[in-house]
Amino acid sequence: MVLTDVVPGGDEKDKTPLRVRRRAVLAFGAALTVGAAGGCGLLDREPDEPPPPDPLLPLADDAVRLAALHRSAAAELPERAAALTAIAEAHEAHARELARIMATPAPSPAASGSAGTPATAEERIESLRVAEKAAYEAAVQACLRTPNHRAALVGSIAAARATHLEALK
Amino acid sequence: MTGELTAALSAEYAAIFAYGPIGVQLTGAEQAAARAAEAAHRTLRDALVVSLTGSGLPPAAAAYRLPEPVVDRAAALRVAISVEEKTAAVWRAALSATVDAQRRQALEALTGCAVRATRWRRFAKIDPITVAFPGKAPA
Repeated sequence: MVLTDVVPGGDEKDKTPLRVRRRAVLAFGAALTVGAAGGCGLLDREPDEPPPPDPLLPLADDAVRLAALHRSAAAELPERAAALTAIAEAHEAHARELARIMATPAPSPAASGSAGTPATAEERIESLRVAEKAAYEAAVQACLRTPNHRAALVGSIAAARATHLEALK
Repeated sequence: MTGELTAALSAEYAAIFAYGPIGVQLTGAEQAAARAAEAAHRTLRDALVVSLTGSGLPPAAAAYRLPEPVVDRAAALRVAISVEEKTAAVWRAALSATVDAQRRQALEALTGCAVRATRWRRFAKIDPITVAFPGKAPA
């Protein structure tokens, strides 16, 4: 009885299926590989315990998506191409800076942002404004929550998105 | 925290001063924009004075050096852009030194300056009218 208390489940230990233990070892190895090859592995789901995603990740995703939206609008609206391209470049610069401070791989350009439904120029610009406004509001919230050392960058991105709304008038 | 906000207050005094000679050289919609911008900077100054009460407020100077003499419309637009870019920079710096309500104040101020700079670039027909990182010195 005393022995049972000191070594609880001593028998069970020996019954642990070898396959389970091997799987755990393999998973650990996979996590190491992913961590080494993919930076912080923020975008990977394979490891058993992925690190929590960086709170600025949605901001970077918005930047990549908005860049693609403006690029495709610039291609379709030649008379506004210069302004739209400048905005797309700003979003791309934001995505690069966010990737740098999050220490994640630089984001690849998003697939075409076109919704697939041809619209008038006014409707097209209005849809960009709606997207910019939502992204601006998200950036404001991110700026208010972010640590001090990130606040200037995130605030600058929020302000830039507000200027895009002005430029899209 | 107060160092950055004190710098913002000095920049706001300078902005209010600059919009006097700027407004004189403008007409119509541009003059209205100058009046609105000056009012916005007065609001920012007043909020800062409230925020900084008790921490040794810097007094407003009698005059501020402008980046160039405001002799005509083109100079007025250039100086207006410069004023908004400078105030944007001090507010951006304040973001890293503030939290909560003061961070919000700094962000709203930075955003306002950035949007006004965009409007002035549009009046001045500067292309593009936006910059990637408002308030950040160009690399």
